Parts: sequence; structure tokens; C-alpha cells
Amino acid sequence: MVNMPPIGFLLPRDLGIDLIYSFVIIVCSLMIYRATKELYELSSYKGIKYFRQAFLFFAIAYFFRYFIRFLLVFFNVREISEFSPIFVGILSLSGFLYSSSMAVFYLLYSVMWKKWNHSRTKIILFNTLAIAIALIGIFINNMGIYLVLNLILLLFILFVLIIAYKDSKNKQKGKSLYIIYLLLFVFWILNVIDIMIPRFLEVYQLVIYLFSILLFMTVLYKVLKKSGS
Amino acid sequence: MVKRGKLEIMRDVIQIIKRNKNHIKPTPLLRKANISSARFKAYCSELVDRALIKEIIEGKNRKYIILTEKGFRFLEKYKTIINFIDEFEL
Repeated sequence: MVNMPPIGFLLPRDLGIDLIYSFVIIVCSLMIYRATKELYELSSYKGIKYFRQAFLFFAIAYFFRYFIRFLLVFFNVREISEFSPIFVGILSLSGFLYSSSMAVFYLLYSVMWKKWNHSRTKIILFNTLAIAIALIGIFINNMGIYLVLNLILLLFILFVLIIAYKDSKNKQKGKSLYIIYLLLFVFWILNVIDIMIPRFLEVYQLVIYLFSILLFMTVLYKVLKKSGS
Repeated sequence: MVKRGKLEIMRDVIQIIKRNKNHIKPTPLLRKANISSARFKAYCSELVDRALIKEIIEGKNRKYIILTEKGFRFLEKYKTIINFIDEFEL
């Protein structure tokens, strides 16, 4: 039997803040994607490709987050029963979980693709994992399992980033980049927990939003500066 | 001697063409590029596929290699591309 999506995801508390937050992240991500377009078209460099795809997936993920809220506002929350809230909730939640997981995997892959011997199998594996995460989020109604899963994912990300940092050519420059990436992953997980377990981080929601925006803006600033856009 | 990366070899090939007034035959290009014939063929075909260079026939079936606009742009942006890759450890 299909479980109801978390009610917090379906009926957001602060619709205005959520809309603005998602909108800012979408704009930042799309600007990063757009700013790196020429560099990729000229070089066809795989690292740039995965980096761009990561931010495209971030934009798609937050679109799904934004999309459900936009629908609720646009069609009026009181009339929600008229257009199957479970279906809309599941569609948006699975879209968000899949896309944001893919974004994280692509960002990791962009720094590890040379060491992991680039192959299609890895991309298939990422897709499979992202689908599994989305399915677990929807069908397993046990928040404990979901928290443990996110913890395992965070440890894996930490492990990969430490390896990447050790192989980094410029340790000083690499340090700040990997700290930004690590924070980005931490806040992604906090964002997912905020959706899956609405009251778990309620007090810190605004802080999570502000830090997430700050991180995306930092990456955007670095991209615009280095890409000459 | 440090081994050249793929992007660096591509930059070298494109730069040689530009320095020869954007007009060079494949054989002198191969000699100046300082890579094996097999790799040269592979690189040339990739550069053609990506529309960075173009092969033209002039006179009595004489093949020349020239840069496209995208090829010139690649040279202009090469440093930016490398800096970007270094900055984000890609």
C-alpha cells in the first residue's frame, strides 16, 4: 500500500519563505549551468559536464519542491482534495529525492571521475541508487530507517571527499572547495530531513535555508569569477 | 618530461594551425604537434567532430587544415577552461 507523503511536504508551513528559498536555489543553479555552457562546449571536458549536470539536477530537485507549493497556491490549498494530493505529493517528493540525489552523485563524480575510471556503469549505478532513495522515501514509512540511510550516505560522501582532498594538487585551494562541497551535502541532507520529518528541524528551518542559499551563492560567485561569464 | 594532457595537446595542435596563418597541411602539422601518427589521426578526427578545425581541399586535391571560429574561441578561452578545472578540481 502506498503511504501518504509527509504532510509537511504537502501542506507547507511558510509557503512564502519556501517559495522564495526554492526560487533562489533554482536561479543560482541555472546560472551556474548557463555560465559553464561555453567552457563545456569548447572543451567537451567530462569533469565540467558532470559539474554542470549536478547543478542542473539541483535546479530540477528544487523545482519539484517549488512545484508542489506553487500548485497548492495556484489551485488554492482548500481545494486540494480535488486533484489527488497523494499523487501530487508522491510525484513531487519522488522527483525531489531522485533529482537531489543525482545532483549530489554528479557533484562527487565531477571530482572523482578520473580516479573512478569513467564508465557508463557508474552513471547507471547512480541512477539506481537515486531511484532506490526516492522509493525508500515514499514507500518506507519509517523515519528511523531514513535517518540511518542519510547518515550512511553522509559518511560515504565524507569518505570520498577525504580521498579527493588527499589527491588534490593544490591543498590550500582544494581545502576550501571540499569544505564548501561537504557543507553543501550536509545541508542537502538537512533539507531532505526537513521535508521527510517536518517537525524534526522546525526551529532551525530558516537557518538551514539561509545557509543553503549562502552555499549556492558562494559556488555561483566562484563559477562566475572563474568562467569569465 | 611531463606528459601532456588531452586538452593541452588539442591546444597545441590548434595553436600550430593558427601560427601557420590558419592554413597548414596534415604532414607538417603532425611533425610540429610532436605526437604519434595514430594519436594525431584520433585528435584530428575529434577536433573535426567538435567543429574546432576543418579540412579543406584546395588545388589538385591538396588537403589543408584550418581553424573554425570555435577553434579560435577555444584558444581564447583555453586559460579560463584550465583555471576553471583547477579551481573546482574537476
